[in-house]
This record gives sequence, structure tokens and C-alpha cells, in this order.
Amino acid sequence: MSRRRAVVLLLLALMALPGSVRAQAPADPVRMVRLDNGLTVIVRENPVAPVVAVALLVRMGSRWETPDNAGISNFTHAVMVKGTTRRGGGELADAVASLGGKISAAGDVDYSGIQATALARFWRELLELTAELALQPRLAAEEIDRERDWLLSRVQRRRDNAPSRAFDELYAATYRGHPYALPSIGTRESLGRIDHAALVRWYRAFYRPERMTLVVSGQVSSSEVIAEARRLFGGAPGAALPPDPPLPAPRSAAERLVVEAQAQQTQILVGGLAPSLDHPDHAAVKVLSTILGGGMAGRLFVELRDKSALAYTAASYYDPVREPGLLVLYLGTAPANSAQAEQALVREIQRIRDTPVPEDELARAKGYLLGRYAMDRRTNERIAWHLAFNEVEGVGRGYPDRFRRAVEAVTAADVQRVARAYLTSLTTVILGPPGGR
Amino acid sequence: MTPSAPAPAPPTAAKPAATPAPTREVLPNGVVLITQEHRAADVVSLQLWMRVGGRDERPEELGLSHYLEHMLFKGTPTRPPGSIDRTIEGLGGSSNAFTSYDFTHYDIVVPAAHVRPALEILADIAVNAAFVPEELEAEKQVVFEEMRLTEDDPEKFLSRRLSELAYSGHPYGRPILGTPELVRSLDRERLNAYYKKHYVPRGMVLVVVGPVTPAQVRPLVTATFARLGGPSAARTPAPPVPPLTGGRRDDVPRPEQQAYLGLAWQAAATGVAAEDIQAVDLLTYILGDGPSSRLNRTVREDKGLVHSIEATYVTREQSGLVSVAARLDPKNLDAAEAAILDVVRRVRDEGVSEAERQRAIVTAESFYAFDIETAEGLAKSYGQAETTWTLDDELRYLERLRQVTAAQIQAAARKYLADANLARVRFLPSGSR
Repeated sequence: MSRRRAVVLLLLALMALPGSVRAQAPADPVRMVRLDNGLTVIVRENPVAPVVAVALLVRMGSRWETPDNAGISNFTHAVMVKGTTRRGGGELADAVASLGGKISAAGDVDYSGIQATALARFWRELLELTAELALQPRLAAEEIDRERDWLLSRVQRRRDNAPSRAFDELYAATYRGHPYALPSIGTRESLGRIDHAALVRWYRAFYRPERMTLVVSGQVSSSEVIAEARRLFGGAPGAALPPDPPLPAPRSAAERLVVEAQAQQTQILVGGLAPSLDHPDHAAVKVLSTILGGGMAGRLFVELRDKSALAYTAASYYDPVREPGLLVLYLGTAPANSAQAEQALVREIQRIRDTPVPEDELARAKGYLLGRYAMDRRTNERIAWHLAFNEVEGVGRGYPDRFRRAVEAVTAADVQRVARAYLTSLTTVILGPPGGR
Repeated sequence: MTPSAPAPAPPTAAKPAATPAPTREVLPNGVVLITQEHRAADVVSLQLWMRVGGRDERPEELGLSHYLEHMLFKGTPTRPPGSIDRTIEGLGGSSNAFTSYDFTHYDIVVPAAHVRPALEILADIAVNAAFVPEELEAEKQVVFEEMRLTEDDPEKFLSRRLSELAYSGHPYGRPILGTPELVRSLDRERLNAYYKKHYVPRGMVLVVVGPVTPAQVRPLVTATFARLGGPSAARTPAPPVPPLTGGRRDDVPRPEQQAYLGLAWQAAATGVAAEDIQAVDLLTYILGDGPSSRLNRTVREDKGLVHSIEATYVTREQSGLVSVAARLDPKNLDAAEAAILDVVRRVRDEGVSEAERQRAIVTAESFYAFDIETAEGLAKSYGQAETTWTLDDELRYLERLRQVTAAQIQAAARKYLADANLARVRFLPSGSR
């Protein structure tokens, strides 16, 4: 998965912490068991539509990578779906299509994994395919070069896409010395260096039951799914793993970088390091981010787009991650307006640091934030992803409720405090056509 | 078929979800009301579909449908600028809108407790938009930005260029955003005249889907949409689309390092040869939906000529468009085009296998099943069907699709996908970087 997609997913996740799950069945429709080998299985029965979604997430991703092997988690997943010891790529593709299904596999920052959907009546076949991909991938040497070419083409595509490239530049500058600086998809250099042996080693080191969470959501019976999961995944050998070594703190550039790129639009990004997902300030920074750039009533949208038409895109991003997060304020604007837009953005940052946010605006932001979180947890695919995400991030099933309560408790003083704490040492990236600045 | 068909339809096997049939009613003033109870979540989708879009614009009105879409949520005499977004978002809801050639669409999603205020907002903006002059002027810059943004996204821009080329000479081939010149000169009087002419009860389709019963919705509609008045001139039908006989070609220099290739053929639509729609849908899935499709297998996996490739089928009322889009290295452009046309030729000459037909049907069932997961997915399929097709056609879509034979799929390929009658757009790296 590319960084950009990661950004979008996490964003959604952020915006939509579960909170108000008003339409739940009377009994808790979620069941969770831990298999003897350490693998976690979670099932959510959801009768709404005749579909099923599977998410198998593994604690593996760019967090464990280095500049030399950046992208190896994602690369491994790209090759994993190309064949198993039982089936080749073509057979796999046909098998998935005959279930009305889709399977994707990718590496992200804190996790990697396989996500799959199908018509509910094929849930057994889908689970079996997922197990086969996860536990018996072929990882054939001849697939490596083909997939490397494909990944290199996507690296180029990201470079050709102004917003993606601007985000990559910002991450690189704000997370210096920390693996979050690395693009999940990798770089030209790192992808060129990763060979078959390295990829197989990486797979073996991380694809272990204790690191894996399997979630199934849909029109299924939880006891049937758990029995089937035990049969398919229970045989994988478990082993106690050493804890992950601590990572160095990122060193933010805290400077203004101008990057020339041929494009019709200029991208303006301002980012500051922010709390991790389980930090006590997380909810307050989510609210801060929502006040600034959440939705069409967010300040950036209202002030920079609605009132002064200085930008077309005006939003903020703050992804929930295990290590320090990044609060990003983002504008897409006409090159001729970019100087003015940047000044206006700086004024908004100053304003929220200097002046407490009015109560009605705070209430709007909380309503929007919690509403989006609830909205994002309605399709089985997203439900499965959220359940798996909370598990691999170590915050657990109670997280959505905790997050909702934390958001509801945020005061105007909290917002001002976190604005002052986290909107201080800022890095700016301006990416646009030459002469636009 | 993208815009015009994906819909709900009762689940096939498995335990059927408790989804009753939709209720459709034409109110005395002409507003069509479609409601359906859908208890998937505590969220109601309210959608207003206007029977007006890019195709209804006179040449000097180009871009007005889209401009209205931008202006409507901005306010009315009783709702100052910004207050609508604040209200909806504060309720934990969200709003959205988009413009097409046959319709313009507005939607609000809110927790079920807030159906009334959301419905009041929709009814208010449908006829009382204020068009505050400063807001109207400022929005021009936003539309210019939108024009630039589309150009910066090669995939989106390819699809737009392809459609403009395939329909050149027809309203479907005109830019939906208008031209910079027309947008620059746009004034309140012209916009308001267009609004008053088209935003009338008989042009409105209101769709409400969520954990509410039609009996709960009806009184709310009586107090809002049922009260709207206005002229009731009939909409001018869209003219027939000129055929692509002999084909059309366009090469566009682009800043990207990679090339893009788009090929498109005109095909069945809801208003023309609608009986072929299901066969063209299946044909498109077999050609280019997902890794098991023929184009992916042959052109990407076996020959390695493209980085990505897919086929899509989009229908408008007067014409459908089957498109193949690929991202590739510039050196492979000719070989990839030949390979794509060869894949298409083989379907015309040899037809498709029963296994492919079965898989394509399951694919269609799957799209349907995933659409009914959310209230807005279901509402969208109903609204689109009502504005460009009929609700009944929509509800019978899957049943008809299952009856399509392999021979009919081949016949559709022969009828529509001729080598000579295609539009081709290529994005060529200008190499200036």
C-alpha cells in the first residue's frame, strides 16, 4: 500500500472513531478468541447484506524497515498474492473472481496484511484462500523481478502525482532518523536492492501467529468461523518473540522546503510531530485537527476556500500510529495564489494557538469527528479493518469507546494547549511549478 | 455499468437481509419520492436527484449545472453562508454533491434522529438558494482550481478526454465544468434563471433510505417537498449521439514519465438498446474487471506490456461507453494497443466460455450485494435509476443479467466493439523533465 493510501485510510480511521454505535444488535455481535499458537481471531456477525470481509493484519511494516530495505513489507505482500504452493497466480485470480471476491495485500507503516471480500455464501472458500496466501505463499524467485518492475512503476506514478509526492517529501523531512520517514512502497534504490533471499527471510521473520490478527465480519456464524479458523491457522507453529526494539526519536527538519514539479496546482503542506495513538493528548489533537481541517466547516475550508477562494483543497490529516504521529495541514492551490494561501494558513495556526475555540465550533468538531468515525465502521470491509487495526496497534476492542469518551471530554483549553504544544516546530513543503513561488 | 446501474436487488442465496422493496410515489406537484427501510446502521441517507445536468445546457450556459451544484449548499435567505455545513457536520453527518450530464445529485447522510432538519435543508436549497454575489464570485476561483486539479490527475483526465472525444459534437462531449471564459463571465442573473427553470418539483427525485419507515417519512415530506411549487415544462430529451464511425484519435503531451492509453466504444444505454445492457456489463467484466479478466491476463501478465489495465462501462441515457484504460511505458504504446484489440477481436470471433460467464455473473451479484451494505449505496442506485432509467428496470436488473447467455455476450462484442469505431486517447510524456 502506498503512503498516500495509508494516509487516506488512517485519516478515515481518525475521523471516525467508533463512538456511537447506535444500531447494534442487543447482544455484542463480536467474538474474540486466541488460538494456542498465539493467533488472534475476531468475528463480527453482521446480517445486513449477503457479504463477508476478512482482514488478516500482521505486525510488520515500514516501522521495522531501514533505508536499505524500505518497502520490503509491501514488496513481500505483492509477491505473496502471486501464487501459493498449491496454486499459481492465474488460478488464484480465477478462484477469487468465482467468489465475487477481491483480495489485496500490502504493507503499511505499523502493520501489513491481507484484506479480502466475497459474497457471504463463499465465506469458507474465502477464508481458505486467505490462509493459503498467508501460510503457504510460493514466493517464487521469478515473480520477484516482475513485481519489482510493477512497484517501480508505482514509485514513478507517485512521483508524477503532485499531492503524493508532496506528502512523501513532508514525511521524509519531519521523520528524519525514524523509519516513518520511509515510503511504505519503498524507493527506487531500496527496491532494486531487495532480492529473493531477503524477501523470504522477511516473510519468515514476521508471518508468525503471535504477530497476526484475523478478523471476519459479515453474514456468517461466529462459531462456524472460529472452528474453521482454528482448522486453517491453528497448525502454524508459534514461538515466543522478543519485543520490538525501541526506535530513535525523529528529528524534524522544522524548515521550509521548496520542490519544483510540473503541475497545474501548487501543494502546500505544513506538518508537526504529534502524539501517538495511545497518548493522552491523542483525542485533543484529533479535535484540533478537525477544527482546522475536518470537513467543509473546518477553518481551512471556510477561510481559505469558501471565503477567499485561495485554495481548492484545504484539509488536515492526523493518522493514528504507534510512534509519534504527524499533524498535517494541507492546501492545493493555484500557483498564483500560493504565497497568499501560505500566509493565510500561518495566520490560522497562529489564531488557534492564541484564541480559545468557541464552544459551538468545538461541538461541531466533536460531532463531525465522532460521526465520521461511526460512518466509517459500517461496511464489513471497514468493520473488519478497524477491529484488526485496534488489535495490532495494541489498543484493543475497548478503544472505540475510550476514544469517544476522550473526545467528548476535550475542552477549549485542551485544544489551545495542544495547539501550542504541537503546532510549534513545523516543517513546510511547497511543491509546484517553477516560478509559482 | 458504472453510473447508471449498480443497485441493490435482493440477495440471491444466503439468508436474505431484511430489506423490503422500495416505495415509490409521485406527489401531486410532480416530485418523485422513493423510500426504503434499511436497518443496517443508525444512519439515514437523503438524496435529491435533479433531472438536469450538462446535457440540458445551451451553449452559453455551459457549466451552469455544475456551478449550481457548488452554490446550493452555500445558503438560502434563512441559512447564512457556512451554516448548512456547520449544521450537518455538527449533527455527525456529511453532505456531498456531484454533477453529471443527465442529472445533478445532492446527498446528506445523518444519524436517524436528525432526518427532519436534513430534509428541511434539502427542500430549502432545492428552491431557495440565495446566490450571495460575493460567494458567487469567490466560487469561480474554486471552479478554476477544480479544472486544474483534474488535469493534474492523469487517470481522471484520461477518462474525461476519452469521453469528450467519443461524444464530440454532442452535449455529452462538452466539459461538465464549462470553460474558463464562461465561468469568468458568469453572473447571478444567468445562474438564477437557469436555476428557476430547472429546479422545479417535476424535476426532483427524493430518495430516503435508512432505519425509518415510509409512514414516518411521508409526513416530513408533506411538510417540505410536497409544498414546493413551480412551472412544469417538460424536459427536452437529449439528442441521439452521433456514431463513432471510422473512429477518432487524440494524442496529448503530458508531464508524466509514464504513458496512458485509453480506448472507448459507444454501447447500449438506458435510453438506447437497453435490452443489451446486461450483456455489455458481463462483457466488460470478462474483458477487464480484476486480475482474472482477459485484458489483465493477456496484456499485463502474459505480455507484460502495461503496468495496469482495466475496462469500465459507463452509461448515460443516450449512450453507454465501454472504455479500456492502461498505464504503461511509452515504448509499449503500439504493441499494447494491438494486444488489446486482439483480445477484443478474439471475444468477437470466438466468444466467451461458460466459466467466464458464470464468474462475471457472480461479479455482478457481488457489486449489488456490497451496494446494499450502506443506506447511501442503496439510495444512489434508486436515484440514478429513477433519473436515467426506471426503478423497475433497476429492481429486475440481476434477474435479467442471470439470463444472459454466452452467445449474447459475444453478440454484444460484435455489435459494439468494432475496431474501426473506437475513440483513442494517448497521453505521451513530453520528456521535458
